[in-house]
Amino acid sequence: MSPTGPDMAAPADRNHLAAEYVLGVLDAAQRRAVETRIARDRAFAREVAVWQEHLGALADEIEPVAAPLYVWPRVRSALFARERRGGWLESVGFWRWLAAGSGALAVAALAAVFVLSSRAPPQPAAPMVAAINLDDGRTAFLATIDLEHGTMVVLPVSATIPAQKVPELWLIPPNDKPHSLGVVDVSHPVSITIPAALRSVVTLNAAVAISVEPPGGSPTGQPTGPVIAKGGISAI
Amino acid sequence: MTDAAETGSDQRSDPARSDRDRLRDTLVAVAGGDRAAFEMLYRLTSAKLFGVCLRILSRRSDAEDVLQETYTTVWHKAGLYDAERASPITWLVMIARNKAIDRARADANDAHAAPIELAAEVGDAAVQPLAEAEARDSGRRLDRCLEELEQRQRTLIRTAFFEGATYENLALRSGTPLGSVKSWIRRGLFKLKACLEQ
Repeated sequence: MSPTGPDMAAPADRNHLAAEYVLGVLDAAQRRAVETRIARDRAFAREVAVWQEHLGALADEIEPVAAPLYVWPRVRSALFARERRGGWLESVGFWRWLAAGSGALAVAALAAVFVLSSRAPPQPAAPMVAAINLDDGRTAFLATIDLEHGTMVVLPVSATIPAQKVPELWLIPPNDKPHSLGVVDVSHPVSITIPAALRSVVTLNAAVAISVEPPGGSPTGQPTGPVIAKGGISAI
Repeated sequence: MTDAAETGSDQRSDPARSDRDRLRDTLVAVAGGDRAAFEMLYRLTSAKLFGVCLRILSRRSDAEDVLQETYTTVWHKAGLYDAERASPITWLVMIARNKAIDRARADANDAHAAPIELAAEVGDAAVQPLAEAEARDSGRRLDRCLEELEQRQRTLIRTAFFEGATYENLALRSGTPLGSVKSWIRRGLFKLKACLEQ
């Protein structure tokens, strides 16, 4: 791995170098040198552009692969989230988003799921639901909350998670930090027992969110990976 | 993927052409700071670019990071796109490739290891005329010119492009002296250029 400087002197090599850069065979130091040259030498930059058009046609053969759903929200928040100092919890956008409520359709669908799956106890505590949505508005998970029994069922809708990672569910009471409700699953519903200490804060003012975590869940007790979906809690 | 509504106008009914035009217009709108166009651009092109990154990087999480960086760069640099000189998808693919290659170089353990077979008997298995490639004149021309190269030149050039592999890596995996790999590729590129610019 000894980086050898690209031979800049010989004019015959200039074309090699432009082609080699585009082809991708140069090492890191050579690539930096070429990029410096592209910025300074317009004729050389043109040669690089010509080679990009020549060889770029090879990319036609590369099979497209759908990117995971959370990449776009990451792109968008990296570019457009203005207040990032305190992370997403302190972001104005996040709270404004929460105030706007979750998608009515998702909540209606969820209500139907809840009615079908619950046994309609005679005098239940008011059932609650949460549509946990991706940044693009699609619902990643639906959650039904049964406070009487202290349980929550989390149903995956359109969630994808990178290999070797798991989705973790968080409860976020207003002006509080996230509390873990445990790891959920992208392929089947998971029933969660809400810790007794948290039951009093599962209210219509609280939010729930899903973060991407290592297997077994966050090692720190706080989200360590990107938050890919969030939602407010609603009454049915 | 083409909208029936868009092919009806004075466009010739060449779907590849109208896709390219649509992408070019979208990219120009992104350069003007249009966020809806940016989202459209992402929807139209992210699967392609993710495919490009996945060929170069062995770890999926790296490919996801590079994809994100690529679109961040695209948002900031769309104004530099020159529609006269570059096809929009090639411009995007090259940004993604460059970032993916840089990421791969930064991690010495991330080099591809699969052996490369350069024996002539392998035949032309590596060259598969694809329907999509045929939709583009430049793709067809490149295929034709690649056909004119020696098998080992073609294999090395294709592998280098798809995987972003260094000369050293290609030499190692093909069991060929570094000097031979360099000269085969350089001669191949020279011949390719002459053919493409005929």
